[in-house]
Amino acid sequence: MDSESIKTEVIRQVRTQYAIDNAKQLIEKINEHCFERCVLKPGPSLSSSEQTCFTQCMEKYMAAWNQVSSTSISRLQREN
Amino acid sequence: MDNLSLDTADLEKLNEKDKTELRQFLQNENQKARIQATVHSLADVCFKKCITGMIKNGKLDKTEENCMVNCAERFFDISTLTMKHLQNIRQS
Repeated sequence: MDSESIKTEVIRQVRTQYAIDNAKQLIEKINEHCFERCVLKPGPSLSSSEQTCFTQCMEKYMAAWNQVSSTSISRLQREN
Repeated sequence: MDNLSLDTADLEKLNEKDKTELRQFLQNENQKARIQATVHSLADVCFKKCITGMIKNGKLDKTEENCMVNCAERFFDISTLTMKHLQNIRQS
């Protein structure tokens, strides 16, 4: 392999790794918060209302995450 | 995902120009990762504080949205305040 393609490969692997880590953290937090909020009394299976709550909670968490993300980025840009 | 495996021998084949570019790339990615870590922890804390009612739909309502923005902004205020106060302690 030449220098150029090694560089490209390093960049690709680093980006993939960061994306995986990011997704893992998000999934972990969604599970934690939404399980707490939606599965109040764990029964023998997930009820359909629990599933609905969970999906909505998941979407809400991602919306909240995006809001925090854009707020943080604009704040950091203002301060630097 | 087919990861082409790279080893140290491959990395030694990098020329100076590509090495410099990679260093810059890694610095940028590191900074992005630090910001992202803050966002993860803020989303965690602020979700707990702001989304307190029954979850009836997947969107943030206006109140929740404002609360998330304020929560993040106030957290940054607090971390600035901490630094200022620590400086004051050190100087007195």
